[in-house]
Amino acid sequence: MTWHDLLAISTGNLWRMKLRSFLTISGVIIAIAAFVAMLSFGAGNQKLVREQYEQLGLFNTMQVYPPRKSNDDDTARTVTLNDATVAELAEIPGVNLAYPYSKFKVSATIKDTSFSVNAQALPAAVFATKLYSQLLAGTFYDRDSARQAVVTRELTDSLHLTPDSIIGQQLIISIKSASIDSGLAYILQNAREHMRVRLKELRFDSLLNDDYRKRIFYGEMNSAFNLFLEGYMNHRSLISDTLTICGVLDKINGHRLRIEPIIIPAASARRFSVSGFGDDPADLFKALQEGSFFVPTGDSIEQNYSEITLNLDPLYSTEKVIDSVEALGFRTFSFARQFKEISRFFFYFDLFLGIIGLIALITASLGIVNTMVMSIIERKREIGLMKSLGADEPDIRLLFLFESAMIGTFGATIGIIFGWLITRLASFIARIIMTKQGFDEIELFALPGWLILIAFLFGLLVSLVAGFYPASRAARVDPVEALRNE
Amino acid sequence: MAESWLKTFNLCRYYRRGPTEVKAVDNVDITLEKGECLGLVGSSGSGKSTLLNLMAGLDTPTSGHIEIEGHSLATLSRRELAAYRAYRVGMVFQSFNLIPHYTALGNVEMALFFNKTPRPVRRRLAIEIMEKLSLADRLDHRPADLSGGEQQRVALARALVKKPEILFADEPTGNLDQDNSRHIASLLKRLNLQGLTIILVTHDLELARSTTGRIIKMHYGQIIETSTSPSKRNDHHDLA
Ligand SMILES: Nc1ncnc2c1ncn2[C@@H]1O[C@H](COP(=O)(O)OP(=O)(O)OP(=O)(O)O)[C@@H](O)[C@H]1O
Ligand SMILES: [Mg+2]
Repeated sequence: MTWHDLLAISTGNLWRMKLRSFLTISGVIIAIAAFVAMLSFGAGNQKLVREQYEQLGLFNTMQVYPPRKSNDDDTARTVTLNDATVAELAEIPGVNLAYPYSKFKVSATIKDTSFSVNAQALPAAVFATKLYSQLLAGTFYDRDSARQAVVTRELTDSLHLTPDSIIGQQLIISIKSASIDSGLAYILQNAREHMRVRLKELRFDSLLNDDYRKRIFYGEMNSAFNLFLEGYMNHRSLISDTLTICGVLDKINGHRLRIEPIIIPAASARRFSVSGFGDDPADLFKALQEGSFFVPTGDSIEQNYSEITLNLDPLYSTEKVIDSVEALGFRTFSFARQFKEISRFFFYFDLFLGIIGLIALITASLGIVNTMVMSIIERKREIGLMKSLGADEPDIRLLFLFESAMIGTFGATIGIIFGWLITRLASFIARIIMTKQGFDEIELFALPGWLILIAFLFGLLVSLVAGFYPASRAARVDPVEALRNE
Repeated sequence: MAESWLKTFNLCRYYRRGPTEVKAVDNVDITLEKGECLGLVGSSGSGKSTLLNLMAGLDTPTSGHIEIEGHSLATLSRRELAAYRAYRVGMVFQSFNLIPHYTALGNVEMALFFNKTPRPVRRRLAIEIMEKLSLADRLDHRPADLSGGEQQRVALARALVKKPEILFADEPTGNLDQDNSRHIASLLKRLNLQGLTIILVTHDLELARSTTGRIIKMHYGQIIETSTSPSKRNDHHDLA
């Protein structure tokens, strides 16, 4: 008996019992189709996440945060994130680039439209990383001192402008900033008039008197401070800058990543970020309390960042870098680690779906067992005859196993195709819904080679297992009894 | 004198059905010469078919044993026993036992499935033997579309296509009219002349006498009579 014979006999039998074969194979088709469709959903989502991670280079990106403030452990040095930290982190082997997240609120004007928006300072070097590679139009600025800005799609969308049309536009950004300078300037401006009046009133002879002197001094100080505050709060200077928009970046959703609508070069941003406080008076009082209010403006100002982003060398072990950073006392967040967790989740998710599919498949396998047992009862005489013609038990077993494997093969092959069709249909519907709801269209399903292979092997394996009992039963048929005349 | 091809020793096959024991074959000693044509007669239920099944290695004796050319079948493994049937034994069953969903040709070809005959050779041999049995224009017929005589000849073709050493023919003329019976009988005679060892089971004593050299009569599983038929077999071995 050759493979050709097995194939001919098996297909012949399945063909002869068309309805029964059709029903049995249908069971397998439904089970495999469900299996494929469900796991395709799992695989599609996993692929989506992986692609996003890869596209944004997240596997090589990690975030560094200052340590959590612990109340009971005040001996620990307070570790903050500042420019020194950035430099320190950049020195760690495996770190390609370290840059802080520094955000400030600005008023922006584009094409005579003014609005309030968040801006962010980024060094030109970040544009070499994948995270900022999603350029929709234009180019990135290439120097930190460039008088250019990159905006995100979030901004163009809110302005109802196309990315292309905004390139080359003037962007005026300004901060209404109160500074000590503006306070002092106000004092000086007002003091001339004020002093003359005061001087007239001043009783010079009484200056010899200590009390009088004190009173005069405090009085003057008081009025000067009042003047200062008045100048500080009400006559804040407007720091503004005109930049040219050179590029539009696609928006990035989620992933703990914050990219503000306006990105300006680090050096240009320094003017804004160091010159004071926003509109919120609370900032002022906080600064007064901390004593940072009177710190002179300039480069020496200590800036604390809420987070620093590291771009890692893909050839280095991420875990080692995480260890080095945590050894410095910082908290970290690694996308590579997060992905491992996501993968683990998907593993259980797939397992769950797989088990459901498997249950369907086991049910289908009962159909196979039933069909095969029926077939054996009907073909008892044929089996007996084959034995009389010299078929050994393994030959008979092989014949029936082959037949049930054929059911599995047909069922699995057609089932995979059906499963794929189901995912196409589901995907089509999902796209319609997504478009209606205004989401970006995404492909929720994937049918990778491994899934096809697993589905096929599962179908084959289950059918073989199902065929095992009937086949051994067939092999044990007693030829004498089978061939006895009725 | 030709050497014995098959020999049975105190061969017994009992069936137990509840309290009763049916002695289908009871203490049978037969010696079959190579090239002999042996007739086996006896009333219905005398154990003829059971004896054939034992000799073909399809059934296992309750006691006693069978030797083929000096080798006991009992010592053969299941696989070797299958090979014995596949290569050396041709069987014609009392009820033709043709597979209804295969064509006549398919039924004949099937006998070569299990003895490693290559596919193209299989087809050629099957057509050859069917032509010899005047079945050339019935190759693609299903058994149901064949007459009784044609079915019997297909069954015979299936037994002969592998060129066996021995043919166990169980009532090959049982359902046939006289013409057909005679046709089959002369065919068997011719095959025997060509050197095929044959055991022919029949209840037609006349047929047995005209075809076989020696007739054994069975009754309740036992041999009750052995006779040499008048048409003494033509021992081609002696002539050669
Ligand atoms: N499986 C079995 N169980 C019980 N008894 C059996 C079985 N097979 C055969 N017998 C009995 O053995 C005896 C011999 O049967 P066998 O078929 O060999 O007779 P036979 O000589 O071939 O008869 P016939 O001429 O009708 O074909 C019969 O009495 C039959 O009832
Ligand atoms: Mg019989």
